[in-house]
Amino acid sequence: MSGTEVLSVESVHGLMLGLVAVIVAAPLLAAAAVALGGFPRSPRTPAAAGLIASLLGAALLAWLWHACDGVAYEFGERLGGGSLVHVDGITAALMPTVALIELAILLVAPKRFLDPSATARLLSGAAATFALFATAHPLVLVALWIVTALPTWISTRGTPGGRPAARVFATVMLAALGCMAAGTVLMLVDPPWERGCGLVGNTGGWLVAIAVLMRKGIVPFHSWYPALFSGAPLSTALAATMPQVAAYTAVRLLMGHADHGAGVGAELVVLSQLALGTAAYGAALALVQRDLRGFIGTLAMSQSALVLAGLAGHVPMELNGAFCIWISSGLALTGIGLVAWALESRAGPLSLTTPQGRFYDAPAMAAFFLLFGLAAIGLPGTLSFVADDLIVSGSLDDQLHAGLLVITSTVLSGIAVMRGWFFIFGGPVAIDGPRHMILPRERVALTALLVPLFVLGLWPAPLVRSLERAAEQLLGVTADGEPVAAPNARPEATIEPP
Amino acid sequence: MTSHDTVSALVVVQLAAPAATLAAIGLPALLGRPLTERATTRIVGGGFAVAFAAAVSVLGLLGARGFAPVIVHTGTWFAVGHHEATVNLVADALSMPYVCFSTGLCWLVNSFAGKYLHREPGFTRFFILLALFGTGMNLMVLADSIDVLFAGWEFVGISSALLIGFFFERRNAIDAALRAYTTYRICDVGLLVAAVVIHRAVGSGDFGRLFGADWPAATCLVSPGTATVVSLLLVFAALGKTAQVPFSNWLPRAMEGPTPSSAIFYGALSIHAGAYVLLRCEALLDAAPVARAALVVIGLGSALHASLVGRVQTDLKSMLAYASMAQASLILVEIGLGWRVIPLVHVVGHAVLRSLQILRSPSALHDRHELEAAIGGHPDLGSWSPLSWLPARAQAAIYRIALERGFEEPAVMGVVGPIVRLLERLATAERAWVAWLGEKRPRHDERRA
Repeated sequence: MSGTEVLSVESVHGLMLGLVAVIVAAPLLAAAAVALGGFPRSPRTPAAAGLIASLLGAALLAWLWHACDGVAYEFGERLGGGSLVHVDGITAALMPTVALIELAILLVAPKRFLDPSATARLLSGAAATFALFATAHPLVLVALWIVTALPTWISTRGTPGGRPAARVFATVMLAALGCMAAGTVLMLVDPPWERGCGLVGNTGGWLVAIAVLMRKGIVPFHSWYPALFSGAPLSTALAATMPQVAAYTAVRLLMGHADHGAGVGAELVVLSQLALGTAAYGAALALVQRDLRGFIGTLAMSQSALVLAGLAGHVPMELNGAFCIWISSGLALTGIGLVAWALESRAGPLSLTTPQGRFYDAPAMAAFFLLFGLAAIGLPGTLSFVADDLIVSGSLDDQLHAGLLVITSTVLSGIAVMRGWFFIFGGPVAIDGPRHMILPRERVALTALLVPLFVLGLWPAPLVRSLERAAEQLLGVTADGEPVAAPNARPEATIEPP
Repeated sequence: MTSHDTVSALVVVQLAAPAATLAAIGLPALLGRPLTERATTRIVGGGFAVAFAAAVSVLGLLGARGFAPVIVHTGTWFAVGHHEATVNLVADALSMPYVCFSTGLCWLVNSFAGKYLHREPGFTRFFILLALFGTGMNLMVLADSIDVLFAGWEFVGISSALLIGFFFERRNAIDAALRAYTTYRICDVGLLVAAVVIHRAVGSGDFGRLFGADWPAATCLVSPGTATVVSLLLVFAALGKTAQVPFSNWLPRAMEGPTPSSAIFYGALSIHAGAYVLLRCEALLDAAPVARAALVVIGLGSALHASLVGRVQTDLKSMLAYASMAQASLILVEIGLGWRVIPLVHVVGHAVLRSLQILRSPSALHDRHELEAAIGGHPDLGSWSPLSWLPARAQAAIYRIALERGFEEPAVMGVVGPIVRLLERLATAERAWVAWLGEKRPRHDERRA
């Protein structure tokens, strides 16, 4: 029995809107409580409560979307082709992922990092990210780009030795925001999702594409990615990069152009080619990094580029693979980053030029690092294996060179992860050194990230089916190449009364 | 319950038993409560014993019905449009003997390692990896689709690399593990692309759409072109795990791992994984004479290389590694010649003998002393060499080639070295660029001042 048979469409709409409100408001309220000095000694508790509320809301939203046969929900005034609140398969699948990432970051954060102002920044950044993943309105997207970038810049700038990284970040982000704002305005003037769009609309599309390139860290605008991972607190770098707001923007603004029958804008096709190169290049750079942060930064750059590479697929399978990589790489790389952060907070910066011998110091961390690493590179039984299978099959169906570049990236990432693990945890052990056991909250956070990777890897059918529906709606064709009844849901509301 | 249902249930047990032991010892370890040594060996041993008993039972049941294969449909893992990943297992004249001897060997090695690694700091880690390997091996052997086979193949590769680097306090172990893993990963591309080509060709990874009739009389159902492409990709994939030239120099270094894992991986099971895959896909090779020829040429070359190099090794485990490689190469030649049952018998015979030799290798000196004490002197092994009829200069040249391991290492480094150096330069340039971007530049008035 589907959800719409139990509840009326209006009730479902109301529930979805309420849930989105809870998801965004809960961390904001927690941030306000922390910032107003309500919890000076333990800001983690209210912050965790806020993010848990968001996570539960996001899980319920995903379930509701799935139970209601995957109908998209739109709410709000549409100024030039975007609704204020937009819930479809992408939102339903990504919102719990983002909430889990934010919660894990909060739980693993060392006590000395988590002062009230840092906590409030983390929470407000999380709320802005949630809001971004629930909208399809171009102007709101621009505003949220600014709001999500600000906490990252402030936090990086305030870190000892982080000013150079903050400068790099600010330079690229200002350029990206400029392109994004100009491109959005041009797109609103001459919407490319309406037939007959002219030079203005197309220019707008290309400007947004350049903004996505910059915000996504795609070659040649990739330098801020490793710089941020090297100079900022790892929590800040992870929170800024793992949700992949630029990829979401590309889905909302560059897909479904009426002049491109297959549903993919020409800009996205160019982006995907550059992203493919970035995926292979990032993985190759990860192989020769000299320190742990550089390794994570380049690996993250490679994995996130794979998402963008898949988004330009003309077949739902490739798009489906991209969404799966979005989820799997987000969870797995957050896990790797958090393990690295926990290790660094105990032992200082870790080099990859010689084996560091950290295994007997922190065996549980070693196990988590290995599992997250394997889950990022396509270990069978994890979600990334399914994702790789779909994206490789889809891209080889679509373009041979794309498939081969994806395979190259996967192979190189695998070798880099194994090298990283052996060089951090292998090596002579300092017998008299202190042992740093994993803390319960760290174990809970890392386990919470790990469980979905394996559960969805062993039992991927519901997620894949759900994402397939979302991909079909976006592309306007079914996985078998048939046109779907209701192509890209942008122009009209898609819920019919039962 | 019909005979078919019984066989199906027993096939699932062969896979589920080692997988359950992996979870049973892995989860407590992950939660910070590793089991005791005794509990660990009993659980893992129990899992392998159950799988072995199930495999022997199925072999008996199949034998009674003339080895007619039984396909076990456990369901569709996931599907998108025409792309479907099914989890189908097969019990036939190839998979069942293989599972019997692989689970049997794992069971024996489990018992051996329980005592050999007593109080070793990585005791639990070893058994987790052994259980992972056993699960992967059974998954690979029982697979009736290329997707499932690939999954098992990956488990075997990862557990192998992690066990080579088991003593990771030593730099040599780390380097050996990374070398092996890099080789595996590169050669895995062959299997991955083969899987995609198969999906494109027949719309599914099921072997039933690739081969007709039952092993060993299977026939090819796809076009010769597809068969040739897939066969060549499978041969490439097999080169890594079977340590064929030019991908062989990881094998002697792999002996850095603990003796029990060396025995089961490089004496018995992992080294023959490539041969198994080629045997499973023999019908494709029948339609691909180019792939067959490649297999014979590579196999003969690698056998010659291994037997020459193996003769001048100065440590027992390296010598045994090259002996394994020589036999694995000959098995590939047999497969290339179109034989089916002989390679299977060769695999089983070689695996059992070699794992025994490797397991006994730490006691070789002790055995030698006992032998000398028993016969009251040094045994006369003679000094005959098969190359003694060659001129002295030719013998010296061959000796030099063997001592340098066929110059394989410099040849490989000649390709890999420049790539790594290029990447390092790129990384350095990236760091310099980021540093320049992040520099604080004096404002105009500051510059004037």
